[in-house]
Amino acid sequence: MDLGTQRVKAVVLKDDVVVGRGQMFAGFDPAKATEQAVNDALKAANLSLLDVNHFTATGSAMDLAPHANNTVSMMGADAKAGVFLIPQARTVIDIGAEEARAVKCDARGLMMEFVVNERCAAGAGAFIEAMARALEVKLDDMGLLALKAERASPINASCVIFGESDVVSLIHRQESKPEIARAVFDAMADRISSMIHRLGINPEVVLVGGVAKDPGFVASLNRKLDLAVQIPEYPEYAGALGAALIAATRAKGASK
Amino acid sequence: MSKNGTVEQRYLPEISRKEMDELKNTVKIASQKIIADNIERMKRADPHRPEAMKYFDDIANLFGRRQQEIQAEKEKGKKVIGYMCLFAPTELILAADAIPVRVNSGWYDTSKLGDRVVPVEVCPVIRSTIGAKMIELSPFLEQSDALISVLTCDGMTKLSEILSDQQTIWGMNVPRIKDSTQSLRFWSDEIKHMKTQIESFTGNKITRKNLNEAITQSHRATKAFRRLQNLRRTNPVIMGRDAMLVNQAYTWDDTKRWTEKTELLCDELEKRAQQKDWVCSPDTPRVMITGTPMFWPDNWKLPTLVEEGNPQGIIVADEQCSGERILNDPIGVDEWSMDDMLNAISERYLMASTCPCFTSKNGNEDRINWLINKAKEWNVQGVVYYVVRGCMLYAMEYSRVKKALDKINVPVYYLDTEYTREDVGQLKTRVEAFMELLNARVDF
Repeated sequence: MDLGTQRVKAVVLKDDVVVGRGQMFAGFDPAKATEQAVNDALKAANLSLLDVNHFTATGSAMDLAPHANNTVSMMGADAKAGVFLIPQARTVIDIGAEEARAVKCDARGLMMEFVVNERCAAGAGAFIEAMARALEVKLDDMGLLALKAERASPINASCVIFGESDVVSLIHRQESKPEIARAVFDAMADRISSMIHRLGINPEVVLVGGVAKDPGFVASLNRKLDLAVQIPEYPEYAGALGAALIAATRAKGASK
Repeated sequence: MSKNGTVEQRYLPEISRKEMDELKNTVKIASQKIIADNIERMKRADPHRPEAMKYFDDIANLFGRRQQEIQAEKEKGKKVIGYMCLFAPTELILAADAIPVRVNSGWYDTSKLGDRVVPVEVCPVIRSTIGAKMIELSPFLEQSDALISVLTCDGMTKLSEILSDQQTIWGMNVPRIKDSTQSLRFWSDEIKHMKTQIESFTGNKITRKNLNEAITQSHRATKAFRRLQNLRRTNPVIMGRDAMLVNQAYTWDDTKRWTEKTELLCDELEKRAQQKDWVCSPDTPRVMITGTPMFWPDNWKLPTLVEEGNPQGIIVADEQCSGERILNDPIGVDEWSMDDMLNAISERYLMASTCPCFTSKNGNEDRINWLINKAKEWNVQGVVYYVVRGCMLYAMEYSRVKKALDKINVPVYYLDTEYTREDVGQLKTRVEAFMELLNARVDF
């Protein structure tokens, strides 16, 4: 279970294969939402709560998780999931709604080092949401829009609020929407890349978290880092998968 | 002089007595609760907490016994000399039969008041001390008849100017290049000048005899202090927070009594070590803290998070001017002549310091050496590099420290925060992830 700031996710793992996934908006009652996500995931796997050997929770609200036998940090879960999904992965970047993290890991999926973005959400998904609102485009359309841009116009992503006023001044300068959308992703990629450079890049680099699904951001990040980050299937479930992998290890340990 | 007969304040805003009293009361009540809560949590962390800690729990109440004692001494005519940085030569104060006390503020709430005077970008230790002055919150700051302000960082330099609106300030100019030919000579002159200043202020002559006594007393304190840190080298017999409180209490307690009580604590801890009565599992990750000073009482969140985390860590060492730097280095006197003693004091305060306000031919290599030696000898498994926003010098030295620690394969985590309680949730995530990382390194 991954109790994120915006959504909660659940993954069911059976013999090291993902057999079910579920997600819900965290809303005002993350525990209840998690319960629902877990039920959905179990339903998809044709299993019931009684079939589960071990529950592990992660995410910022992990302490609220129902059923949890133990917890693991988000960075620990990212490292596990990253290496499980892409065995060559040695740096895992996870960008969620409110937080961005980068974790260096070894071949066993153990974290070696990590960095987290500063207090402001300008490097995370909430920034794209705020900018999409300012541009009056749907969140899902932002990425495709940015890919159409012919050039870049720089904005400042030191903070969501100031970023928004930068976007407004680009609107006043009558820049096109695609260019402004790209400016938003470039600014975010800038922040993420300086965060990663503080950590030191260890190839291969894997990108997970909800923002990994945005082609506009991925293009900006690849340009900025001058490499092709790998994106697994279902990147938004990486945290939950990492927790499930830890749960599997614990369950095996207990049955020995 | 302004119309109402008070001295015009160049920096501090006018606050009505009513507002001041209200604010002071609110913050004081909150602070007393925090002190009690911190101690309660420290007690819970160690079910067999040493008996000798009771004394330090008591002295930890900044609004309690020690404040009253100092007040009584003042009424008998003793002078209180406060100081902000560890460079203040407390032996000279003691020799002149005055009371030294450190006055940096660890109160979160008063940092918001400081925002009325300086911008939020300024380090919160400074903002909070300004705020404490504005509402006369800090017992020791208020009791100080004069303040020694050593011009170390930019914050301290301007802080002394701001506080001079209301208090007598003696600035000490510290040379920034430690190993230049002029530095020690220059600093020695500052020390000698301070001696004269203290003498004329207190009316007490600093003689060979009383300075000898003060230095000897300081040697005894250093011995007790080092004994305590040495007991933290092996399997844990004391929680880091308890040791940190003892270390810091030196800066406001009576020197002699502090030394006796610390020796008593060490006696108890030695017994514990013999009985292999560990305070937590010897597998618990051993953590060292470095960076911005952490002042009691509010600024206890990082040590609390480390030692109450899931997984848990134990703090076995620190490299902070609010902790192990206080008494680590003895004053090296050879001949006990007045000149020799003064020179020894100058040397001790300047050369032994690892404060990042210094540089030298090889930068602040003294700090790097301290960290590496400590990490090796205290078997440190991970370092938390703690920086409050606006603390430029510590923030800027991080890259070098990280490289040095990488070389000896000790992981370091950079944790930035503010004088606020609101970020504890976020910090918890980071600290616990770091403990998890340290645990994983042990497991495999």
